[in-house]
Amino acid sequence: MIGRMRSQTEEASKFIVDWMEHRTGIVTQLEHFLYEPVPKRGAWVYTLGSAVLGLIVVQFLTGILLLFYYVPSTDHAWNSVNYIMNEAYFGQLVRGIHYWSANFLLAMIGLHMAQVFFAGGYKAPRELNWVVGVVLLLLVIGLAFTGYLLRWDQDGFWASVVGMKIGSYSPFVGGYVINFLLGGDVAGPATLSRFFALHVWLLPAAIAPFIGIHLYLLRRHGVFGSEFEYSERLAKLHERQRLEEYAGYELDDDDEDEAERNGRSNGRGE
Amino acid sequence: MAELQKDPITRGDFLGFGILGAISGAILTIPPVAFVLSPVIKTNVLGQTDIDQGWQRVATIKDLKELKPGTPDVFEVEFPIEQVYSDKEIQEKFPDSQKSQSDFTVRHAVWISWKAPVKQQGTQGSGGDILGEPEKPAIVDQKSSGFTQSERDEIRGQLNILSNSCAHLGCPVRWFPDKHEFLCPCHGGLYDINGGYVGGPPPRGMYNYTQAEVREDGTLYIKHGYDIEPGLNKQQPYVV
Amino acid sequence: MVYVPAAGKSKPVEEEVITEENVYDRPDETMGFFPGQVLKDTYVFTFLIIACAVLSYAAPAPLTAPADTATVEYVPRPEWFFFFYEQMLMFFPGYALVSFGAVVVPTIFIVLLFAVPWLDRSPQHYSAISRPFATVIGILVVVIVVLNMLMAVSRIMNFPTA
Repeated sequence: MIGRMRSQTEEASKFIVDWMEHRTGIVTQLEHFLYEPVPKRGAWVYTLGSAVLGLIVVQFLTGILLLFYYVPSTDHAWNSVNYIMNEAYFGQLVRGIHYWSANFLLAMIGLHMAQVFFAGGYKAPRELNWVVGVVLLLLVIGLAFTGYLLRWDQDGFWASVVGMKIGSYSPFVGGYVINFLLGGDVAGPATLSRFFALHVWLLPAAIAPFIGIHLYLLRRHGVFGSEFEYSERLAKLHERQRLEEYAGYELDDDDEDEAERNGRSNGRGE
Repeated sequence: MAELQKDPITRGDFLGFGILGAISGAILTIPPVAFVLSPVIKTNVLGQTDIDQGWQRVATIKDLKELKPGTPDVFEVEFPIEQVYSDKEIQEKFPDSQKSQSDFTVRHAVWISWKAPVKQQGTQGSGGDILGEPEKPAIVDQKSSGFTQSERDEIRGQLNILSNSCAHLGCPVRWFPDKHEFLCPCHGGLYDINGGYVGGPPPRGMYNYTQAEVREDGTLYIKHGYDIEPGLNKQQPYVV
Repeated sequence: MVYVPAAGKSKPVEEEVITEENVYDRPDETMGFFPGQVLKDTYVFTFLIIACAVLSYAAPAPLTAPADTATVEYVPRPEWFFFFYEQMLMFFPGYALVSFGAVVVPTIFIVLLFAVPWLDRSPQHYSAISRPFATVIGILVVVIVVLNMLMAVSRIMNFPTA
């Protein structure tokens, strides 16, 4: 009885897998994705990048959740955040995760960048992935800046005022920059709407494809950590080179020396 | 996978791509850019402002009487602003609707003090102007209303009307009575009682409200507008 | 690129001749992305999400008083990751320098950041020790950022209260 059920389930699952594979090719894709060989040494170092990815996903999820209650208007933005914090079930947790994972995200990005820089991970053929990474960094900084104002509390408001005023010092375009950010010439409803649009729609929409490119390029060229992953192979290479060098000396002991000397003197003569 | 099929592109195809691309491209780029940049166009190109340009009351004669020389006092002024919510139009079109019964305002903190005479103009790196003792016009204490034009001008001339926005990065500045200076809490910009630059990173002194008047009853009114050098206008950081 | 199925073949032929060209083709030891790497990633992620959850009750996300444009009491402070930048602004006073320090220098820095792969092109020098110039510059940047952060913190802590 159990044996028959087992075989039936097996057949059914095999059928589903085959069916999906035939229609979408997803099974092969998954195999490629899951079973790619990656360096065994330094695996903990490479969790930095995945941590960044995970935290960004958390940002997306909790951000969408917060939008269920948040009201982007100067009259009610603060009130709605207050409601999330005090009234909504687990509101404190959802907003807390959004807030704290943003902080961890910035820290993790810093560590991730430092690791890639000091390991030389930006070298050919991975230059473009570094460039995409810098774009992602700028987008995340933009998100961090625009998100701060949305609470419409003293902290967020004044930090944004300072930030916008910094923008106003841009050479040649300062006046345009600040009026663009303000949505006019005073910090008011238009400013909040703008920051909301940037934080919730424009920047996340921009960041998503760049994350995709970053991951695609990573998979295309593989992670490159540091020379310590290759220490055995490098040792073998150096050993072989050394042996070849010795072999060279031993083989052409006299003749080569003679030829070399002649060559040199010829060279000098010319 | 089928072999790739690379058909040649004829001149007609090329033209078609060009024209269609231009049409869709124009529709999808020009209006959206103008849409997003409309505040920039309105304020920087057309010179419009969101802030109501009418007179706003700052302080009564009683406040001015109580204003001690050498001690600036802060007053709150509400400037009605017209931005996004279009309260005015709604109130005109649908006066009975519950929407937007009140104007949206932006509140400014205004530092008011009696001017201290500048004895010696400060030079670069000298640590600001050398100031005398601030003076309060005697007329303020003598009368409570019915000020004449010359008296009103005298009072106006003796008043510092300063924005609380630091000229460096717009943080709210505060008065330190023991030091007799305004201090910006963000980066330590220092100003004297007249708002003149004393030290720290700010590029200039505090912003003055240039349009101000004292009326017959001694009430001080101001309009929104600062002493921003017109030459530097495009690069001049605006007061937020 | 040819796809090599990972199962059981992560270690190809032992007799491979290692040359300058192929030395970096494959690390000494490999493992399948799943489960080895995925498990480690999950450990880190779980730690972070637990930390977030605990912190959101232990140190709830701040919400200060509603924005007030007319305050003279409030002291604006940036978030911690902008501390170093904010501190840097103090070193650039006056019209010419404010715009220089606030916008021009950071822009140059970002452009240089973009250009890093083309500034340091020394081939086959991956290890931090074998390219001291890049490493020293990197360490300098980190030190400057950390020092500026500490200075900002000390400035904020020592701010005089009226």
